Amino acid sequence: MLEISALNKAYQSPGRRVEAIRSITLGVGAGELVCVVGPSGCGKTTLLRCVAGLLPASGGEVRLDGVPVTGPPPRMAVVFQEYGRSLFPWMTVRQNVELPLKEKRVPAARRRELVTGSLEAVGLADAADAHPWQLSGGMQQRVAIARAVAYEPQVLLMDEPFAAVDAQTRADLEDLILRLWRDLEVTTLFVTHDIDEAVYLGQRVIVLSSSPTEVMEDLKIDLPPGRDQLTTRSLPRFGELRGHVYRQIQRARGER
Amino acid sequence: MRAVRLLALPALLVLLWWAVSGSSFYLPSPLRVGQAFAETWFSERLTDDVLPSVGRLLMGYAAAGLLGVGLGVPIGSSPRLRATLEPVLEFFRAIPPPVLVPLIMLLAGIDTPMKVLVIVSGCLWPILLNTVEGVRALDEVLADTCRMYGVRGLARLRRLVLPGAAPQIMTGLRQALSIGIILMVISEMFASSSGLGFTIVLFQRQFQIAEMWSGILLLGLLGLGLSALFRRVERRVLSWYYGSGAARA
Ligand SMILES: Nc1ncnc2c1ncn2[C@@H]1O[C@H](COP(=O)(O)OP(=O)(O)OP(=O)(O)O)[C@@H](O)[C@H]1O
Ligand SMILES: [Mg+2]
Repeated sequence: MLEISALNKAYQSPGRRVEAIRSITLGVGAGELVCVVGPSGCGKTTLLRCVAGLLPASGGEVRLDGVPVTGPPPRMAVVFQEYGRSLFPWMTVRQNVELPLKEKRVPAARRRELVTGSLEAVGLADAADAHPWQLSGGMQQRVAIARAVAYEPQVLLMDEPFAAVDAQTRADLEDLILRLWRDLEVTTLFVTHDIDEAVYLGQRVIVLSSSPTEVMEDLKIDLPPGRDQLTTRSLPRFGELRGHVYRQIQRARGER
Repeated sequence: MRAVRLLALPALLVLLWWAVSGSSFYLPSPLRVGQAFAETWFSERLTDDVLPSVGRLLMGYAAAGLLGVGLGVPIGSSPRLRATLEPVLEFFRAIPPPVLVPLIMLLAGIDTPMKVLVIVSGCLWPILLNTVEGVRALDEVLADTCRMYGVRGLARLRRLVLPGAAPQIMTGLRQALSIGIILMVISEMFASSSGLGFTIVLFQRQFQIAEMWSGILLLGLLGLGLSALFRRVERRVLSWYYGSGAARA
């Protein structure tokens, strides 16, 4: 489905060249949920933007269904790390969620259904007519998630989407993503700095080294598929995997 | 209470004016100017001089607005275009518009087209340059969001570019409004036979001092009215901007 091969990205500015990604090779199967973890500044956002076609690669390539990605592919949605800046301040929450659907020419009735449904799913049905700047950071983040969800993407890219929400909301949103992913079979690439979250959500966890970045480990998460906040997190295997990823990240940071 | 605070200073100024008036032929009393005001402007001068002046002002202002935003959007969107044009634009902006009047008279005669053109030539630059700046500074994350969700072409213009640049565009329009009023008057002081500016000069030449003062008063009131109107429109168009606190930051 999604193949990233020997991806290299260097930021070039006059007199300065920052190699953010040395080489990343990684495949994500159709309907798979893959989490990406790595030390801060290791190039997770850069990777995601290359995959989204927002940033041209310096080397290697990204293919979606065999087709090289040169610009944002249709049916791909992104939740940006700068969630607050990704919402249009001159539109209400509802209009923000609805805009991509309008551009996709979704009929009005279906549009309403999708907008209402996704806002309910993130617990913001009451805030539909508010403007983004009237909401807290966590609420804004949920609007960005609702917008991606309503879009019914084939591929969903998320960049630390739960960074600004409290623990309880976070658990709810994690389960929302799992439900969505199962129901709609969305291929998902999920960047997080939270190791627990990566292990809980992912079928695989990719550990990135520190910059210039390579894949340090591609770890299969062999936990039972039906995940549950309480039972899954208390499995001994969960603890083992978490500990393993934790040690890997420590190693990645130590190598700097 | 608010009305009192609003009117206190103007009332004080009128009193002061009263106190010093009469000391000179050139400074008639407020009462005299008030009389002249009613006699002069509530007559056919309103339709023959004032309304045509205001009409030309609005025409020139609207044309400058369309032109400034219409050119500013593509220039602001393209770094190449901007780098090429910006020094030239700054140069044109730096030319005081009144000095263009003789030139424009040669090209466009002395009638309405000349006067409108003079107003356009002065109003255009602040609108154009502010639009360029507003479009240039659009949030990248919002731009990426549009790319991701297939918002392009006209929809992008309507949903992202124009509202995003609106605070800057409004700043340009506000600056242009005061320039426009000045140029409305100046364009009528040259080789003209009607209009507000012409009338004021005429009164001065004929030593109709109170009438001349009343014309100045009318111009002040006109400016005040237009800028109040502008503020109302701005509050409405930019309600999200004032609400979000971005205006204060
Ligand atoms: N536009 C840019 N120009 C130059 N260098 C950049 C740019 N964006 C990112 N970088 C550099 O690339 C590296 C990776 O940045 P990136 O934002 O991808 O990291 P990240 O893993 O997402 O970090 P975080 O976990 O803090 O979000 C960093 O060293 C950063 O300084
Ligand atoms: Mg990042």
